[in-house]
Amino acid sequence: MAQIEIRDLGIDYRKPKSNEVFSAVDGVALSIERGEFVTIVGSSGCGKSTLLMAVAGLVNLSRGSIRIDSKEVIGPGPDRAVVFQEASLLPWRSVRGNVKFGLEMQRWNGGDLNERAMQMIRLVGLGRFSDYHPHQLSGGMRQRVNIARALAVDPEVLLMDEPFGALDAQTREIMGTELLRIWERDKKTALFVTHDIDEAIFLADKIVVMGRNPGHIKEVIKVDLPRPRDEAVLDSEDFNNLRRRLRAHLAEDMSSMQLVQEVA
Amino acid sequence: MIELFYRRQALFLGTLSMIGIVVLWQIAVDGGFINPFFISTPSQVWAEFIVQFEDGQVAANVSATLYCFAWSMGLATVAGILLGMLAGWFPDVEAALEPFIWFKYSAPTVAFYPLFVAWLGYGTPTIIAIAFLFALTPIYANTLSGIKNTDRDLAKAARSFGAKPFDIFLRVALPGSVPVMMAGLRLGVGRALTGVVVAELFGANAGLGYAITYYGQLMQTAKMMVSIVIVILLGVILTQILSFMESKTDSWRVDSGR
Amino acid sequence: MRSAEMTAAPAETRQISLSFLRPSRSTVVGLVAVLLFLILWQIAPSMGWVNGRFTSRPTEVFFAALDIFRNDSFLYHARISLTEFVAGFALAIVVSIPLGVLLGTSKIARYLIDPPLMALYIAPTLVLLPILVIWLGIDMAPKIAVVFLGAVFPIVLNTMAGMSEADSRLLRMARSFGASRFDIFTRVLVPGSLPALLTGIRLAVGRAVLGVVVGELFVSQAGIGYQLNLYGQAMRIDRLLVYALIVSAFGYTLTIMVRSVENKIRDWRSK
Repeated sequence: MAQIEIRDLGIDYRKPKSNEVFSAVDGVALSIERGEFVTIVGSSGCGKSTLLMAVAGLVNLSRGSIRIDSKEVIGPGPDRAVVFQEASLLPWRSVRGNVKFGLEMQRWNGGDLNERAMQMIRLVGLGRFSDYHPHQLSGGMRQRVNIARALAVDPEVLLMDEPFGALDAQTREIMGTELLRIWERDKKTALFVTHDIDEAIFLADKIVVMGRNPGHIKEVIKVDLPRPRDEAVLDSEDFNNLRRRLRAHLAEDMSSMQLVQEVA
Repeated sequence: MIELFYRRQALFLGTLSMIGIVVLWQIAVDGGFINPFFISTPSQVWAEFIVQFEDGQVAANVSATLYCFAWSMGLATVAGILLGMLAGWFPDVEAALEPFIWFKYSAPTVAFYPLFVAWLGYGTPTIIAIAFLFALTPIYANTLSGIKNTDRDLAKAARSFGAKPFDIFLRVALPGSVPVMMAGLRLGVGRALTGVVVAELFGANAGLGYAITYYGQLMQTAKMMVSIVIVILLGVILTQILSFMESKTDSWRVDSGR
Repeated sequence: MRSAEMTAAPAETRQISLSFLRPSRSTVVGLVAVLLFLILWQIAPSMGWVNGRFTSRPTEVFFAALDIFRNDSFLYHARISLTEFVAGFALAIVVSIPLGVLLGTSKIARYLIDPPLMALYIAPTLVLLPILVIWLGIDMAPKIAVVFLGAVFPIVLNTMAGMSEADSRLLRMARSFGASRFDIFTRVLVPGSLPALLTGIRLAVGRAVLGVVVGELFVSQAGIGYQLNLYGQAMRIDRLLVYALIVSAFGYTLTIMVRSVENKIRDWRSK
């Protein structure tokens, strides 16, 4: 059986003002194998972040189930760690303090906290900056800290919610390559949400394409590009074909979105 | 019904707690837990209010207080905004005023009350002067920061269209700082009222503060509470009015600004 | 457009090395303004522009200050006022921080207590002085109460705001690592609301100092406010000013101290 099994998942929200109920995600089924890097791509409002947060155990399910290693997900757990988009570092803690945060919360007992944190900080290439505070770092560096914090607790599954969404295009590419380098070390199962097509292909073993109203899975695409990958893969024929396919999906979604906006 | 409760939860619970306080107050005294001499009761205060209202005391005191309030607030608005604009536009003016403003900030104006009495005598002029100084600081400080923090990009854009400094002041800096100024006025209103009432506590022959001291010295709690409650209500009402005006200017800015 | 250009960046980098030798223009202008004011104040009575009996002179104030500091009873009065201030302020902190935490973490409590709290915050609490005198007499107690009332509301309201406006993204992050409610409170809410708490304390300082002075001016047998009243009635403007300046300096120093702590703590906030 796959490591992560999502079955018939539905998540409803109540709009705060009107009390209207709407489905952010509906009828989602997905299995993810151990060690797979899965990206979830879709235009805004397709429920991709909601899906990720559901796997993290941070939102309540309305229907269906999520199982990890056959255990039902009922809340956050030490088997998962989340890398958030931005501004999720504690501004009053240093880089090291932030990386230690997850370890503290999970009552880590695998040795010295400081040592473990420093190890992770060096892994993401911030060794010299361990005493800096978040406001002294660039956006890219902050996301490295974010990744180090999630890796430090040694999760079975790494969940990433548009971690590079706020970065400029160049930094974003560098961070993607870096992420793959770190991931190659022990190939943890990774779930990565993005709206960037290139990023989705570049990182993935498997791409999940989502659509809107309500959020559902349109297609699951296998990516057979050889690993380890570097920027050169971006220009390959296979990459271009995948890119074209994803574009078509997203363009379809955009046109339906415009219709919705006109009605609204 | 339940839905309405959730949407208006703040209002319901807020009203509930206000009523609760009044009821508790009454019960605490009626039940003999507190000596009525100390705090009176809501029903007694209400009865006293009717008496004072009918013999014209309420009107006389409120109008005396509002008279001083209007003068001091008016003067503070004019002086505060004028000085604030000058200091905000000319850095030298700001630097020259800075030490005095800092002094004013940290000195409790009331410490100079005896001085004002020496200069202006007991009564209305001293009250107005004290309340003026109370209200001046926030109005000046907010106007200053409003003008000083003029959006650089907007100023640049205006300059690229050939606007002269004065045009930029009039059409960019001034309109842009209206919401901050309004916030200053809102703070000023509360402080002006405090100033008037506090100065009246010390020496006046009319006004709410005067009534509070007068009945306080006679140890007539219920009569005194009438004016205390009126002052608190006045403070809330005046601040609410200004908050409302502030939100108006703010929404206007959001609509047309960015 | 000189206001925009004069504060532009290049000046900063070039002047840094010499800045301690060459004071900035604004410092010079400020000093000159104060000096001019003092000179004007000194000569105005001699020139017959004002009545010196009502304005005194800087030199007179200076000598009055020397006289007052040598005079033992200054310390006596200062100690009384300081005691009232410290007692009232400490009481306010003890009450207001837990209350602010409760209001900041419980929505129901906030809805229930916010309206009366706001009313008392906006309203001049000093009007309660006469009734406090009836309750507590004319010694230190009513002044302590007035200081307490002045200081308690800004701290409660700011603590409350700091807690209830905590960054929801940080809360979610903490939950994702399995943080308990207690962990979230001690490691996210408390450090996150510290700057707001300090802002509350800074605002409270001003109100508390005001409370002491007003309380003592209203009715007292000793204290700085008592001295103010005494010299005011005796028309000793020079001595009156010395005491007023002492109160100013006290409030100023305390405010600056809290502000510097505040700035240090705020340092980690985005610039």
